[in-house]
Amino acid sequence: MRRREWLERLKIPLMLAPAFLVLIVLFSGGLVVGLGQSLGYMPVIGLNEFTLHHYADVLTNSNFLQSLWVTFYIAFTSTLLSTVIAIPCALVLRQAFKGSRFATFIFQVPIPIPHLVVAFGIVALVTQSGVMARVLASIGLLSEPGQFPVMVFDRAGVAIQMVYLWKEAPFIGLVVLAVLRSVGTEYEELAQTLGANRWQRFRYVLLPMIAPAILSTSIIVFAFVFASYEIPLLLGVRFPTTLPVWAFQLYQDPDLSLRPPAMAISVILTIISIMFLITYRRVARYAIK
Amino acid sequence: MDKRNSPKLMALIAALLLLLSACATPPAPSERDLEGSAPATTKAPPTYATWDEVLAAARGTTVNWYMWGGSDKINADVDNDIGRVVQETYGVTLNRVPVTDIAEVVNKLLNESAAGVTDGGSADLLWINGENFKTVKDANLLYGPFVNLLPNTKYVNWDDPAMANDFGTPVEGYESPWGHAQFVMEYDTAQVGDIPPTTFEALAAWIRANPGKFTYPAIPDFTGSVFVRHLFYWAAGGPEPFMGDFDQAVFDQYAPRVWEYLNDIETSLWREGQTYPTAAAMTDLLANKEIAFNMDYSPGNASLKIAQGVYPETIRTFVFDTGTLANNNYVAIPFNASNPAGAMVIANWLIDPEMQLILADPTRWGWLMAIDPARMTAEQQARLAGYELGPATLQADVLASKALPEPGGDWVTAFEKGWIENVLQK
Amino acid sequence: MKEFWRWVFIVLMTVAVMAPLLVQIVWSFAFRWHFPDLLPGEWGLNAWRYVFSDASRVGEALVNSMSIALVVSLLSIAVGLPAARALALDDFPGKGAIEWLLLIPILVPGVVTTMGIHIAFIRLRLADTYLGVVLIHLIPCIPYMILVMTSVFASYDTALEDTARTLGASAVRTFWHVTLPAIFPGLLVATLFTFLISWSQYVTTLLIGGGRIITLPMILFPFISGSNNATAAAISLIFVAPALLALVFTSHSLAKEPSILGGFGRM
Repeated sequence: MRRREWLERLKIPLMLAPAFLVLIVLFSGGLVVGLGQSLGYMPVIGLNEFTLHHYADVLTNSNFLQSLWVTFYIAFTSTLLSTVIAIPCALVLRQAFKGSRFATFIFQVPIPIPHLVVAFGIVALVTQSGVMARVLASIGLLSEPGQFPVMVFDRAGVAIQMVYLWKEAPFIGLVVLAVLRSVGTEYEELAQTLGANRWQRFRYVLLPMIAPAILSTSIIVFAFVFASYEIPLLLGVRFPTTLPVWAFQLYQDPDLSLRPPAMAISVILTIISIMFLITYRRVARYAIK
Repeated sequence: MDKRNSPKLMALIAALLLLLSACATPPAPSERDLEGSAPATTKAPPTYATWDEVLAAARGTTVNWYMWGGSDKINADVDNDIGRVVQETYGVTLNRVPVTDIAEVVNKLLNESAAGVTDGGSADLLWINGENFKTVKDANLLYGPFVNLLPNTKYVNWDDPAMANDFGTPVEGYESPWGHAQFVMEYDTAQVGDIPPTTFEALAAWIRANPGKFTYPAIPDFTGSVFVRHLFYWAAGGPEPFMGDFDQAVFDQYAPRVWEYLNDIETSLWREGQTYPTAAAMTDLLANKEIAFNMDYSPGNASLKIAQGVYPETIRTFVFDTGTLANNNYVAIPFNASNPAGAMVIANWLIDPEMQLILADPTRWGWLMAIDPARMTAEQQARLAGYELGPATLQADVLASKALPEPGGDWVTAFEKGWIENVLQK
Repeated sequence: MKEFWRWVFIVLMTVAVMAPLLVQIVWSFAFRWHFPDLLPGEWGLNAWRYVFSDASRVGEALVNSMSIALVVSLLSIAVGLPAARALALDDFPGKGAIEWLLLIPILVPGVVTTMGIHIAFIRLRLADTYLGVVLIHLIPCIPYMILVMTSVFASYDTALEDTARTLGASAVRTFWHVTLPAIFPGLLVATLFTFLISWSQYVTTLLIGGGRIITLPMILFPFISGSNNATAAAISLIFVAPALLALVFTSHSLAKEPSILGGFGRM
């Protein structure tokens, strides 16, 4: 009897243990080392004391705020646009019509495509001498690449956002679609018999149902875009660049004394991201109620 | 239901799989795993007294050569003209490791050095020069000096200060050259006409008259950096002030004129100077007529790109009246290389006249020679003279007459930092 | 009328989705393609010839990417499945906190932890090794596995399992014949996600693999930031192909099972 109790007690920790072990060791280990380096503790180059001056340097750096703004702005608009596009798509796709299976499949295509591939495709399309510009040229709307609007290597990060939009809208859309499918149409039908019009049905019946899903997926999307390095590096301007790119460039610099600031930026970046997401989650949960 | 067995089973499966993964490391065909046998003590790679020892030690081994991997042509050429030859002649297998930027490898060496990994390193040979060379040499991250062991080093003119110094840092046997490079401007005759602006004054005038058609790569790009260097030479009337150690007073004397020039043309640049492209992007821009000029360290590249279909046939090259900077590509061996002997064998082949002739052949590599042609045999010199340059390539003597030496590494750092602060961030 | 607009919507969506992919197919067969040509002025197979040559190392990278992604997926399943089950079906003190902890890697930039752990890996001789790369990929992959499978288990009824065990089936048989079929669609989707995450990793493989472990993104990146569009397109298509194939197999499960993607509604 005793033994059984023991084994029962061990069961849950045992199930969680492998995952915990891997993540704690690898993830937290890396985080802790990074944190240490950000506090100036790098014995390998002889720095043995903890200091906050790297954080101070970074936060007072005139470029920091600009980079923070760029990072935030790109993440925010990408997430917003993705959500705004995803919802109508999901609403259309939930209906059964001829070709809905085809449409749903097309909608899923972006999911497995790696971001690098998307970046290349988007650039080939929207660069000033890209396919879209050439289409316009062939119908006589422009004669020179310079006349096509600037979308790549631009401060507004248009191409960057296009990439994220192309990838993340289907992600959000499919989750919303799954939720819509699982709840069925009874509530709407009920509302309709009670005299609610289309907008009211959406606003008061559907929206509350899909709100939690939107909340969660937008959190994931924002966190992901906020932390991204490759796309802003490939398609963004040289300056001001996003925080992850800046941190990584400092890390790659042969000058090892730039490591602590690189780590400091990374830690700040993480904290800001988590804080924003916690706040967003709280506010949204409240709004949903 | 006895739930406890099912999760236990899963934990067991997990442990098993972890174990399996650790053991079953599928060998990628040409990969050399880090031998975990040697502890991180202060063992150093072997040194050799004679070339025969090197050859003997190298036979049957693999060399990991880290080099820029963004050109399919260079990749294929290295495999064919170097890899195949050293395999057949010396029994050395070449494993070319592509990197996006050699600074990544410098970073890796720094990390390895900091972690105390003094042998069994994964890189045997590096394609490196300039600031990166200075960094690794100053940090004692290189093996050597090894150049005097190479029999073919007799073909290299080490008396030439432009060869014996890599961006002002004395080579002192830690690097062996590979190819020579000289900066040229590429332009589209269809947009600029047959006579390009060959002075900086004329260039500025052209830029202002044709807004949006000129730009240069953003520093710290190699090519963008050298463009700015040219402006410093122009401001100072020559390269002399920048040949020695860095002098803040000298820098402050000429820098304002350079920033003035660059800021002055900024609004007439591509994208009004709001952003500066990468060097690679500029090829596309020129090919698509978004800009009218490009710049390159390799004089033969324009012709090559025309032959590859990357450039339209109207592209040509020119050098400034005041001259353009020239430098060399080198290879170096990391301090903790696993296979310095094999690396040396390859370095030796690189400066073999037969290899250099392939290098200089416009239909093969289209580079410039690193060895002194006068030291080759008469027959080899005749073959060199018989090469037909591509449509866009300038003659070697024209280039040589306009060649300028590179400044010291510290100057370059100052120029780059100054540009970022005074031009990019304005 | 409504159908017309719906049709317009489908056409627009199809164009928007397929255009970036189709343009790459065309680019991979182009030799000379400059503004303002709508189609390549000169076609050519040189990009594909290079890709299939030894010099491109695409074959080696494909094998590496594939095997790493598979191993990482399998490990994620082995580690994440029990954890997800515990989180979904059991209650214990500190559950909320543990849940957050296991999912935090999704929110934290991968670059941060990788940069921090790099030197430790070098000391442990894990840098530049296959195992090292697998380990670093696990960090973003395991949380996603847990996220999806927790939701799948949450809507899972253990009654069948109980019945099977009562009838005398062993744990293994129960798992294989009862549990697995029931969670299979969800597991498939979760595996797809982890596979794709590992498949697409660039910076982490670059740092920890040190250039010695060549995966497809590492070959692709220099070409995308370079000027050779044809070769970049060809490599890109090879990079995409297995992922698209995986989608075709799991598409059915993706669209049908609400519980799977509902997992993403948990955060």
